[in-house]
Amino acid sequence: MSAPSDSATATAHAPASASAASSSSGLTFKLHPLVIVNVSDHHTRVKAQAACSGDGSSSSGETQRGSRVFGCVIGVQRGRTVEIFNSFELVLDPVSGSLDRAFLEKKQELYKKVFPDFYVLGWYSTGSDVRDTDMQIHKALMDVNESPVYLLLNPAINLSQKDLPVTIYESELHVIDGSPQLIFVRSNYTIETVEAERISVDHVAHLKPSDGGSAATQLAAHLTGIHSAIKMLNSRARVIHQFLVAMKSGEVPVDNSLLRQVSSLVRRLPAMESQKFQDDFLMEYNDTLLMTYLAMFTNCSSTMNELVEKINTSYERPATRRGGRGAFM
Amino acid sequence: MESVEALVAHIQGLSGSPQEVAHLHNLLKQADCESLRAHSAAFVQFLAHLQPETHSLGYLYLLEAFVTSTANLMDHGGRDLLVTAADFLTACSADQIRLAPDKFLNVCRVLKDQVMQLNMPIRGIAPLRAAVRKIQASPEQLTPVHADYLLLCLLAKQYKAGLSVLEDDIFEVDQPRDLFLYCYYGGMIYIGLKKFPKALELLHNAVTAPMSSLNAIAVEAYKKYILVSLIQNGHVPSFPKYTSSTAQRSLKNHTQIYVDLSTCYGNGRYVELESFILSNAERFQSDNNLGLVKQVLSSMYKRNIQRLTQTYLTLSLEDIARSAQLNTPKEAEMHVLRMIEDGEIHATINQKDGMVSFHEDPEQYKSIEMVEHIDSSIQRLTALSKKLTSIDENISCDPAYLMKIGRERGARFDYDDFDSVPHKYF
Repeated sequence: MSAPSDSATATAHAPASASAASSSSGLTFKLHPLVIVNVSDHHTRVKAQAACSGDGSSSSGETQRGSRVFGCVIGVQRGRTVEIFNSFELVLDPVSGSLDRAFLEKKQELYKKVFPDFYVLGWYSTGSDVRDTDMQIHKALMDVNESPVYLLLNPAINLSQKDLPVTIYESELHVIDGSPQLIFVRSNYTIETVEAERISVDHVAHLKPSDGGSAATQLAAHLTGIHSAIKMLNSRARVIHQFLVAMKSGEVPVDNSLLRQVSSLVRRLPAMESQKFQDDFLMEYNDTLLMTYLAMFTNCSSTMNELVEKINTSYERPATRRGGRGAFM
Repeated sequence: MESVEALVAHIQGLSGSPQEVAHLHNLLKQADCESLRAHSAAFVQFLAHLQPETHSLGYLYLLEAFVTSTANLMDHGGRDLLVTAADFLTACSADQIRLAPDKFLNVCRVLKDQVMQLNMPIRGIAPLRAAVRKIQASPEQLTPVHADYLLLCLLAKQYKAGLSVLEDDIFEVDQPRDLFLYCYYGGMIYIGLKKFPKALELLHNAVTAPMSSLNAIAVEAYKKYILVSLIQNGHVPSFPKYTSSTAQRSLKNHTQIYVDLSTCYGNGRYVELESFILSNAERFQSDNNLGLVKQVLSSMYKRNIQRLTQTYLTLSLEDIARSAQLNTPKEAEMHVLRMIEDGEIHATINQKDGMVSFHEDPEQYKSIEMVEHIDSSIQRLTALSKKLTSIDENISCDPAYLMKIGRERGARFDYDDFDSVPHKYF
């Protein structure tokens, strides 16, 4: 057993990194956002706990680059559509490198009671790329589901990346170097949301404070949203502008269709140039600025007030003779 | 105890990296004793071997030892010393001299005394300005060199040169005397430039600064403060609450004649004011304030005309002349014209029938310049607010404050107070 598995892992090393091969099974994957939130929550929790307790008991997996978390994904498979609804966490035994079966089965039973339709569809883990040991876990799960799915979440925050750092892998039997092996192949997926899920994900994403009822925090949240939207608009417009400048200076070959698109976009913007509009606009702008100025003033005065009170309490001299004023203010 | 040549060799050798400079500093401190000073007369030729930029620290020590002995100054003082010191101040490296700040300050002071003795204050301006920038740890720190620099600018009548130093806001002050001198001289420079609002601000600071006993600088500052506020605002505001008690009690006693002047001004009659000023002219002259007092007199007209804007919408020139106690309508027209140009009032003069109509402030807040103006004010205020918050946090951690707070809480056990100061800690 050890020799074939060694060779399997040895040769699986090369194709594992070349898992850019796309799946040919023809299954459509639908992912619910709850799964993504669950996985990221699990990862964050474990990371925070590990940071708190020093380098003590990080739950599972390698300690090379931080710990990986593992769990199961459950959902429904109808015909060619695989819909992943939910997930739960699992414990990985670091010694044997395999999942705790008893726990898995117990959890499966519990979930079956609540969601009778859901089956264990596969498992998830965190990391930036597929590891060799993953295949072992994958094979171990094959007795639960004959073709499990592997969901990988990349917890590294990459600001330039616009897509979700989630990849779904399937296992396929490929003939490599003459012997059939299971390798991971990437599959496409779509995100599917129910209305309730969308609201809750939105809520979590904005992380409103607990007393989000007060006007100040609501205003701040609203303004933050607007600010980020404007920032993104600004950066996109800048990209287009740079592109046009490059096209004008000849660095980029002139592309008429792109130019037409840009011009139609520009024409869609509302642009008024009359003097009255300028006047009214500037007057309102100045009014808002003055309000902000006033608010800043009030803020400053209140800070100053607190500061002076503190100075008075700490450096107060008792009232001197002749009733002279002792305090600073 | 090393001979001077060995010291010079050390200086030349050890002025490379910061560790070397620190080592050199220790050596110099050891060598800085009386016997070294006894030889200080011979330093001049050694100074020629050293470069001010790279060997700043050593140069500073030698120079300071040289200039602080008065015998040397009398023998070798004069233009050469000026040139050497001025070159040093402009060329020295800021990091090295910060290791020996008091020696640097000594050199600056001696330079200032020298230029004043030679009656050429203008020669000290450039080196001292460089010195100010170099010894400041941050642009917000006040050093004794500031006061000397401003004094030289005043004596040389180079007011604009003083502006560059005055424009920085000061947040850290070491010696109260520096603050008083800075505010007083700064106020005078602004008066010289006719920027009365800023002058008022600085003089106000000088008057209301905390002082335990009365000092002459505050008295002089108060005299000018009265005059400038009469010119600018038409009245002298009463002391704010945060003025020290000594100031409130004694300042008025020492400046009685100015207080009388302000009451006379408040009555609004030009002739009375003029006679009062004439009768006390020598007193004002001895304080060097006669020029300012004359400006107060001429501002009397402006004040009266401004008072008219609050009562009338239109007024004829003769009426203006009559109520402002001017002699002819032509004079009134001239005054009104000048005030319109300065932006002090808003009016239009109709020359055909000699009527002046007063307007509201025509600012509609519709322009982009106003946007920029308000925006820059907001930015300034944000920076100030950040500073205040940081000072607030610092005070909250101050042990004196914590002790007082802890004591006040007593032995109550409010659950809300649980994460604040444990009162038994001290």
